[in-house]
Amino acid sequence: MGEVWRVAISDSFNKFLGKVITFLPNLLAMITILIIGFLVAWIFKTILYRFLKAIQLDKISEGWGLTQILSKEGEAYSPSNLLSRFFYWVIVLITLILGVNALEVAATQHLITQFFNYLPHLFAAVLILVIGYLIAIFLGQAALIAAVNAQMESAKLISRSIRWFIIVLSLTMALYHLGIAEKVIVVAFTIVFGGIVLALAIAFGWGGRELAKDFLERLYRGKGDKDEKPDRFSHL
Amino acid sequence: METPFKIKLEEIKETDILIGVPSYNNARTISHVVRAVMAGLAKYFPKAKAVLINSDGGSTDGTQEEVQKVGIEDFKTILISHPVHSLHKIVTPYHGIPGKGSAFRGIFEAATFLEAKACAVVDSDLRSITPEWMELLLRPIYEEGFDYVAPLYARHKYDGTITNSIVYPMTRALYGKRIRQPIGGDFGFSGKLARFYVTREVWETDVARFGIDIWMTTLAIAEGYQVCQSYLGAKIHDAKDPGSDLGPMFTQVVSSVFGLMKEYEPLWKEVKESQPVSTFGFQYEVGLEPVSVNLERMIRNFRLGVNDLMEIWTKMLPSETARWLESIERLSDEAFSFPQDLWVRIVYDFAIAYHKGSVRRDHLLKSMIPLYLGRVASFIKENQESAAGEVEEKIESLCKIFEEMKPYLIKHWA
Repeated sequence: MGEVWRVAISDSFNKFLGKVITFLPNLLAMITILIIGFLVAWIFKTILYRFLKAIQLDKISEGWGLTQILSKEGEAYSPSNLLSRFFYWVIVLITLILGVNALEVAATQHLITQFFNYLPHLFAAVLILVIGYLIAIFLGQAALIAAVNAQMESAKLISRSIRWFIIVLSLTMALYHLGIAEKVIVVAFTIVFGGIVLALAIAFGWGGRELAKDFLERLYRGKGDKDEKPDRFSHL
Repeated sequence: METPFKIKLEEIKETDILIGVPSYNNARTISHVVRAVMAGLAKYFPKAKAVLINSDGGSTDGTQEEVQKVGIEDFKTILISHPVHSLHKIVTPYHGIPGKGSAFRGIFEAATFLEAKACAVVDSDLRSITPEWMELLLRPIYEEGFDYVAPLYARHKYDGTITNSIVYPMTRALYGKRIRQPIGGDFGFSGKLARFYVTREVWETDVARFGIDIWMTTLAIAEGYQVCQSYLGAKIHDAKDPGSDLGPMFTQVVSSVFGLMKEYEPLWKEVKESQPVSTFGFQYEVGLEPVSVNLERMIRNFRLGVNDLMEIWTKMLPSETARWLESIERLSDEAFSFPQDLWVRIVYDFAIAYHKGSVRRDHLLKSMIPLYLGRVASFIKENQESAAGEVEEKIESLCKIFEEMKPYLIKHWA
């Protein structure tokens, strides 16, 4: 009985030791991957930051107004800094996944494969959102200035409508790209957008008949503002 | 340069004087301008070889035909002697970005090709041009050794508001020369200066449009050419709605002023005070047509700007300036006043923001228009009862403020 007991315990211990010995290289591989990955990420971040500074990305971005968009409440974020940080975290994320993968745990293998298959979609969706946001800010500001210079009282409303329309549109596109409730997203967007256009058409046609008539008359007959006399001095 | 244009120039070979007339749908006025130019050349420079170039932007109203129709017989009664050489007339389309600057580029190229000694450019929509303008624009170059002649006009007290409130005071404060009409549109310049202009790579920028005038004047001063001005009398344009082009006009001119500040930064930082320039011509007072002004609309535009654009302006203006603007916005139309020193500070702050790129440049320039209209409205209110001389004194005081506050610009520039 004692012998059986001893053999059972010894077998169990040997099996565990065997598993540990088999797992240990994987663990070491994971640690090595993590160390190298973090090091590569840090080196890449430093080189990229210096390269972007050297090509004067921040100055170019200032010219495009990108720096202004990225700054919030007086704090300015340099595009060089943001981009190098972004790529740092991308490499760190990939390193972590590779590290976990090196453990060769069956449960994580499938998940990691799925994650890597999904990664391009995720990148594309993030890109759509970022570009959409930048376009929304740019067009919103351009519309605001144009509407003020055209003396439109509702300049802010127009600007905000354009900004939110583009943000919602890019969000819809991003979600569609990620494959999240594709049909629901498209239908919801169509209903909301169609509803807004219909509401505006009814409001303008019903509530603003006189305004519409006046607007069209001025447009086609060159009538001009009834009470407004034009300026006749030269600005130059 | 297009081949047919080049062939015509090769036939002429060389010239003493070259006159450029840029045009776009100016059939109503261009024949008068061409007649004045031809009469002026025949009367004041009868021995000189002369070429007139109409650089046209693709007119569809018969502008080019009008230019071709004008002949020397039309005005031989005013000539004492016949010109030795016949005047060559070339009508040519210009290429590149549509705009006055692109038209001028063709004229500079022709002046360089023909090795012209003296050149002049005049607007094609002028109703007040006389043959004497040719003498006044060309003589200082042809005989006195100057390189650049800016115009000096008698204008309505409300006319030239971009000139009076930004371009003249800025040019004077920055580069130290009191050229009263730096963007007048009618200039004389030497062949040497034309050859210099043509070498510059600016033809894809706002210089190719309305920015050309201030670019020519600034380069002439900054590059050390001999500059002067000539009194031409009244300046009256063909009637059209001047407000229709305000947006592009304003942004293109102001972007050229701000852009040139970067190019000539070391120069203007060293200039401490302004000096008058030589002035030719006999100055006299002119009766000018009254102009209508819609003050309420300008003030309304300013108020809209304060209410809606403050989030953009605060990226460029200090908080005290923003608060000052908000207090002006609350004033009634009767009490409305936009002080000169506030305006100067704003112009300098916008120039600094343009230089630093803290706001997208086209948005910056367009967002400045309501502020400009606010200042113009205040200027008109201040001068409703003033005579021309008093208005000129007010402009002089604005220029002095621009000069006094230049250290503020230098301090915040870097």
